[in-house]
Amino acid sequence: MRSPFAELRRGLVVGEVYEAPNVKTLAVRLVDEVPPPRPGQFNMVYVHGLGEVPLSVSGVREGGRVVEHTVRAAGAVTRALVYREWRGGLIGLRGPYGRGWPLEEAEGHDLLVVAGGMGFAPLRPVLKWVAERRERYGRVNVLVGARTPRDLLFKYELESYRGLPGTRLLLSVDRPEGAWGGHVGLVTDLIRLADVDPGGSYAFVCGPEPMMVNAVKALRERGFREDRVFLSLERRMRCGTGFCGTCQLGHYFTCRDGPVFRLTEVSDYLAVEGV
Amino acid sequence: MEAPLYRGGLEDVARLYTLLRDERGLVVYGYRLDGGSIGFGVVRGASELPLRVEAEAGPGRYRLRSGVSFTTSHQSPKNYLHPPRQVVARVREDLSVEEPGAGEGGVALFAVKPCDLSAVKVLDELFRAGANPLYAARRGRVKFVVVEECLRPGATCFCSTTGSGPTAREGFDVAYAKLGGGTVLFKPGSPAGQGVLEEMGLEEAPESDVAEYRRLAEEASRRACLGVAVEEVQRALRRLMGDRGFWERVSERCLACSSCNMVCPTCFCTELVDEYDGRVNTRVAQWVGCLSYTYGMVAGGHFRRWLYTRYRHFVLHKFLFYPVQTGRLGCVGCGRCVTWCPAGVDLRETLLRAVGEGGG
Repeated sequence: MRSPFAELRRGLVVGEVYEAPNVKTLAVRLVDEVPPPRPGQFNMVYVHGLGEVPLSVSGVREGGRVVEHTVRAAGAVTRALVYREWRGGLIGLRGPYGRGWPLEEAEGHDLLVVAGGMGFAPLRPVLKWVAERRERYGRVNVLVGARTPRDLLFKYELESYRGLPGTRLLLSVDRPEGAWGGHVGLVTDLIRLADVDPGGSYAFVCGPEPMMVNAVKALRERGFREDRVFLSLERRMRCGTGFCGTCQLGHYFTCRDGPVFRLTEVSDYLAVEGV
Repeated sequence: MEAPLYRGGLEDVARLYTLLRDERGLVVYGYRLDGGSIGFGVVRGASELPLRVEAEAGPGRYRLRSGVSFTTSHQSPKNYLHPPRQVVARVREDLSVEEPGAGEGGVALFAVKPCDLSAVKVLDELFRAGANPLYAARRGRVKFVVVEECLRPGATCFCSTTGSGPTAREGFDVAYAKLGGGTVLFKPGSPAGQGVLEEMGLEEAPESDVAEYRRLAEEASRRACLGVAVEEVQRALRRLMGDRGFWERVSERCLACSSCNMVCPTCFCTELVDEYDGRVNTRVAQWVGCLSYTYGMVAGGHFRRWLYTRYRHFVLHKFLFYPVQTGRLGCVGCGRCVTWCPAGVDLRETLLRAVGEGGG
């Protein structure tokens, strides 16, 4: 058996879109055969000579032959991904890893999607998934927040989600600019405006951890069931399969047991700083 | 019926070593004298075996001197099974990967301690669930295990509380115990071990030696004891999980050096380091301790910025989280983290204070 570190697959970068000055979506065509990722899963993305970072899959095309990753410049690897010209270049991918969103379980129910900042990236495949199977879900509300209008991800396709039947899209920014027509404030404030049946709805949440903690509070207040609230968590991930240990959250290995968790699994830990 | 015990001397321990190396053709990993200290690695000759030394240990203190038996070293079988630094992949410019092998030939773990044996079982469970093929390959090479029991536990040992010593019941081929006066009792733990002892031509131990062995083992068990039950500790820790004040108090003297992680026989956390020569990128898996500042740090933030959260993870992981992850306690009571803490932070004290403040 080979070690996961040897399971590096070559990916040819076939597209690059700047979402914001420091955020880019890379489209990667896999040279080697790889199982298609499920919404919410992630890859370890390798840049030669620099190292690897865990990145959510933000899109899947051509039945998994092309995967997309949306990345913000933060450290050495992500800066290289964002600021270098990649089209035609090779990057490495390991994965897909982890447990994604429970889309089958949520069938027949309303769905509330809450995305803050970069947290929109792992939720975008959920919207695509639902759009292709719209009849299997009830009302769908999508709440998206960003710091400024310029920081909103996937601006070029947001309107297409609004156009899906039975679907509402609410946008919110911390600091409005120009002719901003959406809300101003925390994206979690939009939860009270959501037009779904709280007792029967699923909620998928991803964003910075303080935002998710706020979201949980607002969802509880509106009467969402804790076993139907799901969060995608971030930790320091290195191996992807649960043995390097550095992504531990309490007794969980976030890479293997998550990154998507049911609220009832992690609510005790979310209440404790740095556990 | 219990298998019979066999009687021998220190020279028979050396003979056992030689037999495994020369007759069985095994690479013998064990504790070995290395200058003024004891390390864990390939034992190249019987003269390297630490047969006549003992350690004076205490919080932040360890001195070797001549004596009957030593208890622990700053290293452990983990140094072989899950080495401090191992190349896991060499990536070329075209992103093709060369994977180094895990070495060849059968291995004997020689004269490891009962606590070490428990630690190996913890790693086995952990890496089975995490499917770590690097560990599996090294573990698979182990063909024979010899345990040296501890009839004279060290001053920082508490293995009888954690259920991992001072004697061994299973999971070995041969165990032996030093009674003093040069007498050594051997017990088989497997048919292979029985065969080896018979091959060595050892005589069955007289009743008086067996009685003395049992008496010393019971006494050792009483000494290597914390005075509170693990379940009490676990209840208290669960209650104190969110009590920041408690964790700040017990980690007050901690220097965040992560010596405790390095010497712990069950700590396994690994960092990936990329060593790039301009063409080939060598990916190295290297131990990282949860007490060190970078543990939990990512480019965009830090999940365990405060030292108390990292010390707490060390303690909670051993006592609350390993049991969920592996079905076994993560602490084997070897006392290494106490002995090799340069600031003398004492895990036993943390556990007792936890029971004192969070128990009931």
